[in-house]
Amino acid sequence: MSRSRTHFMLMAAILLGWAGQIFAQTVAAKADEPKLIATVKDAGAPLKARIDACRQLGIIGGKDSIGPLAALLGDEQLSHNARYALQVNPDPAVDEALRNALGTVKGKPLVGVIHTVGYRRDAKAVGTLASLVTSGSPVVAGAAARALGDIGNAEAAQALEQARSKVPAECRLDVYEGLLRCAESLAFEGSRPAALEIYDRLYKLDAPHQVRGGALRGAILTRQAANRQKLLKEHLGNEDYILFSAAVEASHQMRSARATTILTDALKGLSADRQILVIHALGVRGERGAIPSLLQAAGTGDPRVRIAALQVVTELGDPAAVPVLARLLDDGNREVAKAAQESLATFPGQEADAVVMEMFADANRDKQRVALELMGRRRITSGIPALVQAADDTDLGVRTGAIRMIGELGSLDQLPVLLGLLQKAGQSQELTTVEQAITAICLRATDSRAQTDRLMIGHLDKAASVQKASLIRVLGAVGGPDALQAVSACARGDDVEVRSAAVRALGTWRTLDAAPTLIAMAKETGNLTERTLLLRGYLSLAGRGDVPIADRVAMCREAAGMVARDEEKRLLLGTLSNVDSPEAVEMITPYLDEAATRQEAALAAVAVSERLLRGSGPAPFAGRLIAPLEKAVQVAGSESLAKRANTVLEQARTKAAAR
Amino acid sequence: MSHNHSHLSRRAFLGTAAAIAAPYIVPASVFGRNGAVPPSERIILGGIGIGNRGSGVLNWMLPERDIQFVANCDPQKARREKVKQMVDTRYGNTDCALYADIREFLAVRTDIDAVLSTTGDRWHALAAIMAMRAGKDVYSEKPSAMTIAEGQAVVETARRHRRVYQSGIQRLSEGNFTFANELLRLGYLGKVHTVRAHIAPWDAAEMRHDWLPEQPLPPKEEMDWDAWLGPCPWRPYNAEYTRGGWRNHYDFHTSCIGEWGAHTFAQCQVALDLWKTSPVEYKYVANDSGDGMVTTFANGVKMVLERDMAAKIWHGSCGVRYEGTEGWVAIADGYSRCEVSNPAWMGDFKKLVDDYMARTQRPMNHVRNFFDGVKSRRETVANPVMMHRTMSSVHAANICMWLKRDLKFDPTKEEFVNDAEANRFRSRAMREPWTI
Repeated sequence: MSRSRTHFMLMAAILLGWAGQIFAQTVAAKADEPKLIATVKDAGAPLKARIDACRQLGIIGGKDSIGPLAALLGDEQLSHNARYALQVNPDPAVDEALRNALGTVKGKPLVGVIHTVGYRRDAKAVGTLASLVTSGSPVVAGAAARALGDIGNAEAAQALEQARSKVPAECRLDVYEGLLRCAESLAFEGSRPAALEIYDRLYKLDAPHQVRGGALRGAILTRQAANRQKLLKEHLGNEDYILFSAAVEASHQMRSARATTILTDALKGLSADRQILVIHALGVRGERGAIPSLLQAAGTGDPRVRIAALQVVTELGDPAAVPVLARLLDDGNREVAKAAQESLATFPGQEADAVVMEMFADANRDKQRVALELMGRRRITSGIPALVQAADDTDLGVRTGAIRMIGELGSLDQLPVLLGLLQKAGQSQELTTVEQAITAICLRATDSRAQTDRLMIGHLDKAASVQKASLIRVLGAVGGPDALQAVSACARGDDVEVRSAAVRALGTWRTLDAAPTLIAMAKETGNLTERTLLLRGYLSLAGRGDVPIADRVAMCREAAGMVARDEEKRLLLGTLSNVDSPEAVEMITPYLDEAATRQEAALAAVAVSERLLRGSGPAPFAGRLIAPLEKAVQVAGSESLAKRANTVLEQARTKAAAR
Repeated sequence: MSHNHSHLSRRAFLGTAAAIAAPYIVPASVFGRNGAVPPSERIILGGIGIGNRGSGVLNWMLPERDIQFVANCDPQKARREKVKQMVDTRYGNTDCALYADIREFLAVRTDIDAVLSTTGDRWHALAAIMAMRAGKDVYSEKPSAMTIAEGQAVVETARRHRRVYQSGIQRLSEGNFTFANELLRLGYLGKVHTVRAHIAPWDAAEMRHDWLPEQPLPPKEEMDWDAWLGPCPWRPYNAEYTRGGWRNHYDFHTSCIGEWGAHTFAQCQVALDLWKTSPVEYKYVANDSGDGMVTTFANGVKMVLERDMAAKIWHGSCGVRYEGTEGWVAIADGYSRCEVSNPAWMGDFKKLVDDYMARTQRPMNHVRNFFDGVKSRRETVANPVMMHRTMSSVHAANICMWLKRDLKFDPTKEEFVNDAEANRFRSRAMREPWTI
């Protein structure tokens, strides 16, 4: 056996020994550094091990790792991995190693080395990088230009400026990129004139839009106040849309109020598209000084501009805008009127509330209806007395609108009023509206449930059948022990309409405390519809995921004792199919033998068994599932269900055998 | 707009659904204004790395009346052709152009104003940076940066070239989540002391470093493996990676914390108005996911990572819960509405969401917010700074788990305090030639 082969096998054995421990981790122990370095150095080590070692040295590698890693910088296969470790090692010796590599490494690895030199902002590398910009391949030149930008000092900027006209067209964008990066660094470090020199030159070039626009933005924002404003103003009149939009965008970040004046002064003379851009800039700036110009823009002209102005006026929220918004509600342009209404719905402050209430007091029915909508959206609770008054209005639309709003905005204080309205309402849309309003208030008054229940239960005795049924529906929606008792009593009464409403309310009861009542009444009643409603309600509670499995099983067992008709059996099977318990499967089993229910039973048995047997864990109950599943295979009725049944049956047999 | 321009547009789009949908909108390139889309003009859109999730986003974008999708770029032939089929079917033509190489795509298609980038996580930041440098506005899926340095580069590039950028943190543009944020902002909850952020209930914080078994490399025209790997360390080809099996591999993924934290940290930090910073402390927890990790912002508010307890404090995925002295709110996907300590608050739902939209000019439609930004040049809701700072929180939490110790972070310097090893995780060298 040759030495190299022996060496390889030895290394592989050693590596396999500790690779699992070290390489599987994101962070190796510092003590492992020598082993990692040895792996990096060993050309015979598996590639994966060397790549992992580089990654690990990226986190824990010190001075000793630099040389071995740097030696890989020219390696096509491992250069990146070496940089992966070196790029983040703060030791200055890394910079020296990378600079050396700039002169020796070729091809793709050189591109990577250049990038890492730039990332580390090694100012000593500027000279070499500068020569690479003009002499390297396009990919190398581009990377060098960007790296010079990352270093970003005056020397780098000068090198890039000199290279600008010399590089081939395909590298020019990289040189612009480098120059923009330099300008940013220079400005940040206080060399404002040098940065401005770059920006001013770039935005005037015949360069791609992102370069010109970005440079103008920089040119504006890097200048001091007065000059900054002058440049903004100049470019608001620029015919070049790129530079115009760059100037407007720069204004987003200008703090001086003077910029707002410059924008508003320019607004009138611009095309619609440009006006919209300026209007949005005024919104971003958020200065109320823009309001008069925005209101003017909202008042007349291109509808798109008017709508944009309305939106921004709302964003700024100055009360001075409210009367204008109110006026524009009647604008001849429907879109503008709609935008004004939308603005008024969300405009901050009480001034807008006052305008809405004035509208509500107007004799015009259309205005009243709009005002009602706005009262709801603005949540004007101070308008509730007016709403209570309007609940007696002669106009049905206004009347029901007002009742709906009382429900949306009102509190317990309005409950007596609504109960009074309920007594008066006939069986109509109005009755439904009152019922919904009462429900809404009761659902919100969670802290005063006893009080709301008392009030409504008190009204039950006084109410006629129609109203009584309505109150029962409210009690059903709201729930609670007192409500349950009252509704249960109604469900045993003689009034057909009231009894029906009560049974339906019980059938959709949401809390578990209703379960005993439901099953008891289902057993008692001789009315088939009532029995079905009550049983369905009971089983719906039994199907709830938040009820413990044992309770759900017990509830199903209770129901199983009374189901007789096929429809009832299917209801039970539907619930059992969601009860993950072997007892549920056993309860399903008898229905596998009945022609009318066998398919639903098979589906339920399979579904429960699948969930019970999911995963690789033990299933001590598996044996209990075999017989029902064998039966399910026989009666499945469809190929797909039979297949599922067979699969889960096999699982049951396997797990049972494993015991 | 002249009649001729309108006619030109209609002719180019003759017989297509979009022609019917957007007859009066012409692309900016017609005016030689590539990269700057005035409000009345159509946004020309391209795609990068669109797979399953990306198709969902594209389907969301295509009905917008003022966009036209014209080209798709993907190193995987089957995927790029699937997108073409989808787009051509919608438009009733065969015009969607295809590119395998992102460099060629960006260099050649100067007519494209904006791109939808829905690559795997490893490519999100690099693709966004390359596209923005080429003058495109970018909608990028999340998690939008693999490292703190990548996030910084996205921020700098967007600013440098004045690009509009939106990270795909779409819950920031959904009513339920917005309502929860507004409850917090408007003081309904009192003084907020704790926010809870859901992390993904699968995978772990410690990720895989193994390689899947090597398989024969497909022809480059079918699958350009080098391009697929992009800036990540080389490894041998295995088809499983390209079918979603890249998840939970350290080189490609941001762990269970990044998978959902990219959403939920952002939601919490936006709600707290702390999206321009990150927590300053990260407390290590001795489990495999980061579940229960307490992070603390400079103002003392705690953001807690939740996994096992999640089902008890909200019901659904990507949940958040905000807790204050006066009450709490919880929301997750799967809720029809928020869960609140005081049901009366729900009465204000519509008002709060409407007021938010009026105050910010941001619609409850994440892609529309992006397109509006392209035209108005206003900042999007998931803008680069927001993405970067909230992803920095994700990265810091991951690093805390990897180092298995508490960390302190300085959001101003964007570095860990007195922890050289942690600081080394802030960047990963990109594999040549995929550098920024």
